[in-house]
Amino acid sequence: MRFIKQSWCAWMVFSVMVLGMTTALSANAQSKPMKHAKRVQLATGVALGPDGRLWVVGLNEQGQMFMQSSPVQALGQWTAPVILNTQQDEMAADGESRPKMAFGPNGWAVVTYTQPLPKPYTGFVRMLRSADGGQTFSAPFTVHQDRQEITHRFESILFDAQGNLHTLWIDKRDMPPKGAGPKYIGAAVYGNVSKDGGATFGPDYKLADHSCECCRIAMSNTPDGKVAAVWRHVFGEQTRDHAFAVLPGASAVASSSAQGQSKPPVRSTFDDWQINACPHHGPGLAANTSQTGFHMVWFGIRKQDGQDVPGVRYSRLNANGEPLLSSVKALPDARAEHADVLSHKQRVVVVWRSSEGSTSTLKAWVSDNEGQSFSVKVLGQTQGPNDHPRLVQRAEKMLVVWRDTKEIKVYDVSQ
Amino acid sequence: MTFLNDHQIDMLMSQLKRRLKFKNFSCLAFLLSIFLGQTLQAQDHKHEHKHSAGPTQSAPARTLSSTQAFNEKSWDQLLKNGPRPAAYLFTTTYCSTCPAAFEVLHQAVKEKGRPVPLMAVMMDASGAKALRHASHFKGMTKMYAFEGFEPEIRQSVDSAWPNVTPYVVMIDAKGNLQKVIGPPSPEMLRRWLP
Repeated sequence: MRFIKQSWCAWMVFSVMVLGMTTALSANAQSKPMKHAKRVQLATGVALGPDGRLWVVGLNEQGQMFMQSSPVQALGQWTAPVILNTQQDEMAADGESRPKMAFGPNGWAVVTYTQPLPKPYTGFVRMLRSADGGQTFSAPFTVHQDRQEITHRFESILFDAQGNLHTLWIDKRDMPPKGAGPKYIGAAVYGNVSKDGGATFGPDYKLADHSCECCRIAMSNTPDGKVAAVWRHVFGEQTRDHAFAVLPGASAVASSSAQGQSKPPVRSTFDDWQINACPHHGPGLAANTSQTGFHMVWFGIRKQDGQDVPGVRYSRLNANGEPLLSSVKALPDARAEHADVLSHKQRVVVVWRSSEGSTSTLKAWVSDNEGQSFSVKVLGQTQGPNDHPRLVQRAEKMLVVWRDTKEIKVYDVSQ
Repeated sequence: MTFLNDHQIDMLMSQLKRRLKFKNFSCLAFLLSIFLGQTLQAQDHKHEHKHSAGPTQSAPARTLSSTQAFNEKSWDQLLKNGPRPAAYLFTTTYCSTCPAAFEVLHQAVKEKGRPVPLMAVMMDASGAKALRHASHFKGMTKMYAFEGFEPEIRQSVDSAWPNVTPYVVMIDAKGNLQKVIGPPSPEMLRRWLP
């Protein structure tokens, strides 16, 4: 009897304790901040191999870097993803900062990404190299000679016609320590050249002072076999337009005089946008292969009749990168974002993403008369998170790759 | 925020069992259960006050341990139930012009000598990755982090906002809004905190 009484008592006490604890823990759970859902980084790099095979590189749901390819005869039918060894690097794959891939001669292929470092706004440009056409890759290595924990981010890569690999990135090594010396406006564009597909690199050189800090750099092959670039630039104190430059060749970079200096770049847009802010919205550039010069798209805000008018605009540039002002046109979509451009002979294709709530539409603006007139096409639509459209070209083959949380779609805009 | 965990409670219980006769233990255990419940609840209320977005003005300059989710419905809720006056600065992990704009807000609040809530909203990261940037936003009361499709959330705040940061929204005591890309002008600050 005594045992039963004790057991009953113990049970009651235990129940009251559990009740008290449960109530308290329940209240605790309700007041905690909501747990964040896992964030998938969708920004993806694309490239066409020498055999016309389409390759993509990006991060999977586990944050690992994957690569897969699709045959030219069946674009969009992807091989199983291969995970690349990026060691323990954190990788940026969001918005304007995406992994990239490029193919060169001799079976060379490279993959690059920005590795954010612990200190905010800092990073290293990292590269993996292949000498067998992308079948196998080296361990990642840092591309630039400067190893300070500062900004080396938003890299871009392109092989020139001679097979030299050009890498550009946003760099803040010229920023004086806080409180020392005059304020340095913006950042700088630095680069280097590799003659052997990323096995070795020439010295870091400065392409331009006073770039904007966080927009992608657009690169394009020129008709004479060089590489040109355009980027958002700070003119004066806070005018954020765009600048253009043809990159120096490997021999010019090797000469010491080029490394620490930069000549003023050519101004390629004249929105005259006065702003001390980060647009996160870099330009697109494509060589005009039927004549000379380039096609360019960019985002900016310009004053029109006293009003700020934001928009993505298109313009032709001459061979020096100066705009042909009569060719400037606004894209016919107020919600156009992250446009890019391709060109082959008479055909010019501008592609962008347009989002309205959770719905995103992939649109193309197509011209068959070198950008004199365009017509709009809707290429696709998706719901929820998706990447910016990524354009890729080899001669007349022009493709748009668009990734969402479910799949990677390919659109052929060659004809 | 940690308190007695299960293991510690078990240890305490077994010690009490050994030292006390069962009848005495029953009474003590009963009292202990009430004490534990009350204490944990009190701790939770403290936690809730710290993270509240309600009308109570929270004091700035404290260490943040987490970010709070900001989805496509959050802005409407904050406009309806959030603190006034207050300011929100939308930023990204790579927006290096954002801390200077936040400092403009912070200085304005300091000059007024009032505890006006200043919030940062991180658009491209959450949790620890976002909080790495907390030291760049002196005087920040709370950090939110976008959760969902970025353009959709951005359009819920302002359908005309073209993804440029810093994007600053200042709400005055009457609920009037001023929006600006980049640092707010002295005139805007005067209207915000007269």
